[in-house]
Amino acid sequence: MIELAHVSKRFGDETAVDDISLHVPKGKFCALVGTSGCGKSTTLRMINRLIEHNEGDIILDGQAIEAYDPVKLRRRIGYVIQHTGLFPHWNVARNIGLVPRLLKWSVADTQARVAELMNLLGLPVSEFAHKYPHQLSGGQAQRVGVARALAADPDILLMDEPFGALDPITREKLQDELAKLQARLHKTVVFVTHDMDEALKLADHLVVMREGRIVQQGTPLALLQQPNDPFVDSLLGGLERGLKQAALTRVKDHMTSMGPTLPAQSRIPAGFSVRQALSMMLRDHSDRLTVVDQHDVPVGELTLRRIIKEAQLDKGSTPRE
Amino acid sequence: MSNAFSVTQQRKQTPLWLWPLLWGALLLIGVVGIPSADSLFRWIEPDARQVIYDRADFHVLLARHMSVVAIAAIVTVVVGVLAGIAVTRRWGSDFLPLVAQLASLGQTFPPVAVLALAVPVLGFGTVPIIVALMLYGLLPIVRNTLAGLHGVDSDIKMAAHAMGMTPTQILRQVELPLAAPVILAGVRTSVTINIATAALGATVGASNLGDPIIAGIVNGNMAYVVQGALIIALLALTIDSLFELLHHHLRSRFSSSSAS
Repeated sequence: MIELAHVSKRFGDETAVDDISLHVPKGKFCALVGTSGCGKSTTLRMINRLIEHNEGDIILDGQAIEAYDPVKLRRRIGYVIQHTGLFPHWNVARNIGLVPRLLKWSVADTQARVAELMNLLGLPVSEFAHKYPHQLSGGQAQRVGVARALAADPDILLMDEPFGALDPITREKLQDELAKLQARLHKTVVFVTHDMDEALKLADHLVVMREGRIVQQGTPLALLQQPNDPFVDSLLGGLERGLKQAALTRVKDHMTSMGPTLPAQSRIPAGFSVRQALSMMLRDHSDRLTVVDQHDVPVGELTLRRIIKEAQLDKGSTPRE
Repeated sequence: MSNAFSVTQQRKQTPLWLWPLLWGALLLIGVVGIPSADSLFRWIEPDARQVIYDRADFHVLLARHMSVVAIAAIVTVVVGVLAGIAVTRRWGSDFLPLVAQLASLGQTFPPVAVLALAVPVLGFGTVPIIVALMLYGLLPIVRNTLAGLHGVDSDIKMAAHAMGMTPTQILRQVELPLAAPVILAGVRTSVTINIATAALGATVGASNLGDPIIAGIVNGNMAYVVQGALIIALLALTIDSLFELLHHHLRSRFSSSSAS
């Protein structure tokens, strides 16, 4: 669990982070989003004391971070950065095993853990263990970066624009894998990005920052339904907001049982997003889709009316912050 | 001094270890063979009474020459690298401009002037030449240590810090290994220059490979000069090719640039 209460950081006369309060429950994924220079990276680095904060309290697992020895604190917090920061003179296995070695794990334990992580991140040991960072593609290098951060099995993972330097296809692939990984490992993650789509896709809790302040925070859906500021609205895509929201809701949450009429021609799996359903309706000139399960057996139907009505209901029920 | 940073192209056809062997063999042949190459040097000085320098054995001169250079090199490497490390730490950064200037100053002094100033204080012999070599050889080492340490990617240092490495661990396991090729290039420049400069020691009574050269100049005997210069040049080439080998070994461990 990470708790920031009225935290500020000044560099000289400049206030980089201004009175922010933030709560990340254990096992949750929190994304800090904002344009460059908004203080999101500074906020992240204050958590593992790469930067010391001036005011407020940062509490980790019930204890103020000043109470921890900074070196020991960092060894129990995973950290991933944009350009990986892998050591070019060490091979992949040695890079991943860094923190376990710092923690004086036995050689056998370290080796076993490195092999486990390499398999987890899709890096076959026989192929990659002895490669050097310059021999890896950008995506592979960042997998190694993530594996290194996870090596000593930290509860907390800090990620500073980890996929920002990757091409769009690799980025999306790594985002999907991170989402799967998180569903399995349940780390407490703080993830910094300027890419709102990335944040919407991955985060349980979204924090929008501007000029060192938190403009709005909440679940991705809550922000999409009710941005409380033109800046948040523009970050969320303005007119595209409706579609982004639809992308976060599943077909199965909006479907109704089969009506008395003949089933519609177009079929959509229940696990797909409402955005994909809307796209299919546009493509097939239909306001009705048959929802099928993974065995292609019809389980219900989805109508355009229903989607619009549910969206209205969602909006009405969202509490104002 | 531009060679301090240059990356020497690897010759594909000749393996790198061949060069130190080749130059070393020529050096050996020179040291052993010069005393019996009377007819060869007679060709340079047909009228001289004597054409082979015989006031000391060449292997003795070579050993003295090498020990002077080695002592100066060890001291300069220790002092230079430690100074470079100290001023790149957070607590020592105030001294960075001072150390950089002092090292440059050392090299602006001509070694002859250092000798002239050192002799009245330290007397004749080997000590003043070692002092001169140390002052003269310090700059390339300090400068390259600074360049090497500054050249380590800040992302890498930040990652090391964020992973929970202590400053000492970062220095020993990350910064120094990554800066090593550049530091080594500085040591190489320093040592190669000092092999030549050490010959000046002969003017203040430090007996080394400069003796035949000075004696040759004083007596107008070019054959002596050639003998001294030849052995010094071969020594410099041998040592330089050894550094090249070491440099390549360091680079090839982690840099793609050496693979091309």
